[in-house]
Amino acid sequence: MKNSKVWLECLFSVFVVGICSVISVLLRNRLALENFAIIYMFGVLAVSVRCSRGPAMANAFLAVGSFHYFCVPPFDTFIIEDSNYAVTLVGMLTIALVTTTLTMKIRKQAEDALKREEQTKELYRLRELAEMEVQNERTRNLLLSAVSHDLKTPLASIYGAATSLLEEEDRLDPAERRELVQSISGESERLNRVLTNLLEMTRLESGRQLVRDWYPLEEILGAALTRLERALRGRSLSTEIPPDLPLVWVDDVLLEQVFINLLENAVKYTPADAAIRVSAHVGAGLVEVIVQDSGPGFAKEDEALVFDKFFRGKVEGVRGVGLGLAICKAIIERHDGTVAASNVASGGAMIRFTLPVGAAPPQPQTITEDSRHD
Amino acid sequence: MTEANPTLHEILIIEDDAEIRRFLRTALGAEQYRLREATTAAEGLIQATIPPDVIVLDLGLPDHDGVEVIRKVRQKDTRTPIIVLSVRGSEPDKISALDAGADDFVTKPFAVGELFARLRVVLRRSLATPGDAAVFRTGDIEVDFARRRVTVEGKEVHLTRTQYKLLSVMIRDADRVLTHSQLLKEVWGENQEDQPHYVRVYMAQLRQKLEKDPARPRYLRTEPGVGYRLVTE
Repeated sequence: MKNSKVWLECLFSVFVVGICSVISVLLRNRLALENFAIIYMFGVLAVSVRCSRGPAMANAFLAVGSFHYFCVPPFDTFIIEDSNYAVTLVGMLTIALVTTTLTMKIRKQAEDALKREEQTKELYRLRELAEMEVQNERTRNLLLSAVSHDLKTPLASIYGAATSLLEEEDRLDPAERRELVQSISGESERLNRVLTNLLEMTRLESGRQLVRDWYPLEEILGAALTRLERALRGRSLSTEIPPDLPLVWVDDVLLEQVFINLLENAVKYTPADAAIRVSAHVGAGLVEVIVQDSGPGFAKEDEALVFDKFFRGKVEGVRGVGLGLAICKAIIERHDGTVAASNVASGGAMIRFTLPVGAAPPQPQTITEDSRHD
Repeated sequence: MTEANPTLHEILIIEDDAEIRRFLRTALGAEQYRLREATTAAEGLIQATIPPDVIVLDLGLPDHDGVEVIRKVRQKDTRTPIIVLSVRGSEPDKISALDAGADDFVTKPFAVGELFARLRVVLRRSLATPGDAAVFRTGDIEVDFARRRVTVEGKEVHLTRTQYKLLSVMIRDADRVLTHSQLLKEVWGENQEDQPHYVRVYMAQLRQKLEKDPARPRYLRTEPGVGYRLVTE
């Protein structure tokens, strides 16, 4: 391979010097000698720019030799009649060799610079990768610390209460015992909620397929309200779902989770006397659902952040991983909907989300002909 | 001794987790149930050859698919009620279990009261003599089957034929979960099974007519991903 490259370069050298010689022979009677020296020097330069050291050096000799043979009178011989020409030839050979050497050097420097640039690029890419790794690591650590906190806190309460019951059984009065048992039960529920959200998030991120069908929105909201019966007890909650709202094409279990998380947040972040309202209406090609409360609302700078994973509003005494709204967002976006957080002008937080309304599903056959029974 | 009392209901628990069995033993024992236990599907199937009053079956057994166990039990025994224990996120498994012949399900983790409620319902059903009551009453709803008359708080409510049929099916299986496909088959017939939203549309209409707040139903409850339950307790 290397050999054939040298041969090609030699051929190129002969070709270039040949062209120079042809031009010189054609013009040698009309132009002064210096002009041909310049033509040959161009040839030397051209070859030294393209070829490796050996062939380029040989080319210098070939060019000066050809110049001597074709251009120095008497033409077409190597005889030198005028000693001045000898000086010219020696000078020209020197210049040709120096030019070749210098060109080689510059070329090498350029190549080195290119190589360095590539290395720098590679290094940069590696550093970016490393930074991404660090970022992932940071996210993982954040997740780990958030999750372990949210799993361990209820677990700590459960374990503490259970061991108290085990070890202090005789010294506890029935009211105290009941309190401990209630704590075990309540904290288990909390643990279950955290786990449900975590599992749902993991499933969504690993590309869980939606199980979609046509549902009345009211039914899914109803299921969520049933599940939250205990948490919502004593809270003022109103729903405004028009009976003629079109069916929505959704995964009911996931959409129920959206309602559960939104309502749980409303309960968690507002005082007990704050009202919660769920409403829905039809917009252009979509159904818009609004869950709002009359609590303190979002801090202005938080509105865009609340859907981030592990974000948590700075409200004292409120616990949670900060996964709830991130899951809502993931679920709604998987349904090709949008979600946004804002504050109600009259005070309170508001989450609105949309679900596209596709083609209407086939209506039950009997719906029109179905008559009232007597 | 409770063991010796033949009038107590006997429950066969097929569950591999020792802690779950332990808490069920304590809780069900306190409620005066007699207990038999199996830790694998194979063992459970052998024990089920002498029918208990109820089978409580964990769907996540190590040796066999729980749905397969239900099918095998149902080949010989169509009467003994089966309640399955399952986790959230496996709704399709619950549907398969119910369609294979299970009577109801409880989602882990569950409050023990929930399991007691399901047990009461399936036992009530398996002990009830055939021949429907002439009048069904729950809360402020009353259905007079002989006169096909439905009232809410004493006021008559007009139902369409399909709405009435759907309500009748729900009443016949009151407090028991019914899957979408079971309801479709019962109300609309075999060939409508690929249109589960029919059930949802009519259920929404029934709620509009029977529930005070259709968005917070007291009677016609939804089991997301599975079906519906008419709650009377």
